[in-house]
Amino acid sequence: MNIPNKARIGGLAALAFFALVPLVTQSDYFIGVLTVCFIYGIWATSWDFMSGLTGRENFGHALFIGAGAYTAAFLGSRFNVNPWWGLPTGAFAAVVCGVIVGVPTLRLKGPYFALATFAAAAIAQRSTRIFWEYTGGEEGIPGLSPLIGSHLAYYYFCLGALVVTTIVLLVLARSSWGILLRAIRGDEAACQAAGINIAFYKIVSLVISAAFAGVGGVLYADYQLAVTPDVFSVVLSITIMIMVYVGGMGTIYGPVGGAILLALLPEMLRAFGEYRLWVYSLVLIFILFFAPGGLIAPICRRIVGVRR
Amino acid sequence: MHTLLNILVYGAVTSAIYAMLAVGFTLIFGVARVLNLAHGAFYGLGAYAAYVLTIDLHWPIFPAAVAAVLFVGAFGVVMERVLVRPLRHSALAVLMITLAVSLLFEQAMFILFGSQSRNVPSFVSYTLTYAGLDISGQRLLTLAVGIVVLIVLYAIIDGTRLGSAILAISQDREAAQYMGIPINRMYSVVMGLSAAVAAVAGVLTAPFLTVQPTMGLLPMIKAFSIVIVGGLGSIPGSILAALLLGYSETIVAYSPWPAATEIVSLLAVLLTLILRPAGLLGKRAAF
Repeated sequence: MNIPNKARIGGLAALAFFALVPLVTQSDYFIGVLTVCFIYGIWATSWDFMSGLTGRENFGHALFIGAGAYTAAFLGSRFNVNPWWGLPTGAFAAVVCGVIVGVPTLRLKGPYFALATFAAAAIAQRSTRIFWEYTGGEEGIPGLSPLIGSHLAYYYFCLGALVVTTIVLLVLARSSWGILLRAIRGDEAACQAAGINIAFYKIVSLVISAAFAGVGGVLYADYQLAVTPDVFSVVLSITIMIMVYVGGMGTIYGPVGGAILLALLPEMLRAFGEYRLWVYSLVLIFILFFAPGGLIAPICRRIVGVRR
Repeated sequence: MHTLLNILVYGAVTSAIYAMLAVGFTLIFGVARVLNLAHGAFYGLGAYAAYVLTIDLHWPIFPAAVAAVLFVGAFGVVMERVLVRPLRHSALAVLMITLAVSLLFEQAMFILFGSQSRNVPSFVSYTLTYAGLDISGQRLLTLAVGIVVLIVLYAIIDGTRLGSAILAISQDREAAQYMGIPINRMYSVVMGLSAAVAAVAGVLTAPFLTVQPTMGLLPMIKAFSIVIVGGLGSIPGSILAALLLGYSETIVAYSPWPAATEIVSLLAVLLTLILRPAGLLGKRAAF
């Protein structure tokens, strides 16, 4: 891979910074906030891998997050399965959802994929109330047994998961697979004419994206030791999309920065508390009009001195 | 017999509401290729405007309803003009800006009115009793107004110069432009029309459904589903699909497993996309 040295150093510096934070702060609360930031990072970058690269925007990423979280919580609470089993089973459940939504819609041109993902996540959220005997309805499933007992260890575990996710997706995005996805975004007809099975590439990319989102969902459930129907919410899907926009679409690393920044923002602006989404929407409008390429990725590029 | 009559009446009311929502949504998509995620916000804004005018400003209900619909129509025009038009070069940006508008609406309502649901007075207090069945006048009014709105809309599109221009743009934008049709103004008009029709649904259902900040989401998802089933951009298609979904949901609601109502639309969407992606009456192949 052809990555400038400055970019490598920058990435390592960011990693070292987050690895050293717990040495500076003793606040358990702040460690928790950062853990959630990392989980948001996993969600944002996995969204970007499918939607940012192919330009097919997924309006229901929460479907995969919720599928992962609920699967892990359900197995843990009903069958007392070892919490570590949550990770593979959660990812698998997310993949199944990805196939169900992706196969019928990604073959088609037009906005079908966006509409179907949006509707599927919203209906999944309603279903948690309909099947309340199994999902606990509005209260969700509380009292999960933790994956890792210590908060500090869990912090490092999530940081590690974020780093692994980002590296895997970056490698994929820079491989011939990623180039194909970008080509699909550029001109679907031309790709089809060149004999590329574009539906296959888009569906498999969605499945990869869903798997990582599902793992992120499991991590989130294990952080909160509970799941609620909010993991399926439209607001969550949209928050993730705004994070990707702020980070810079199609760059994989940008959304991680965007996620950490925006997840920290309400903590920094305590006063905004309940106005969080209001601020987010204004940020989104600002970016759409004045910085269509996002904020984080263009700044990184300028520092490193590469154009694309 | 009793159940059958119930299904017949309530299914018709539900279908009328769905049709009003879906027709506007499919109209703006067919003409401007805008997938308007703020459509649910139009519906909600109509209901809230009626609430403010009747409860806070003590207007009588009928002028308040008309004013609310006109207000939302104007809101649609302004939104198209100020927010959507500058971003039209990118379909994704348009999608995101309409999303931002719907978020802003929801949050603004949370901040202004709180999350509890509000009540709007009924337009008519009359209740029809027929064959042992009580139907509130408000629902009957919704059904009647819905049918009238759809007929008027159809007459506009089928019989006026404005309608011809709308059809021309949806068939071939560039050709229409060369014929001297002011594309940008037409986009604003259609957005305003679509917003106003959604607001009519919002105002009419406000007395018997809940008025709260997130009220726009579910109707919008229903509108999506109907539009996919009926065929994106096809107005007769969305009316047909509205009837289909409205009635199947009502039937399921009276079945032994009423909780499944929510799943009907998702199932219909999946089946449509697998079997006939262009939708029931969609002309353009979706592949």
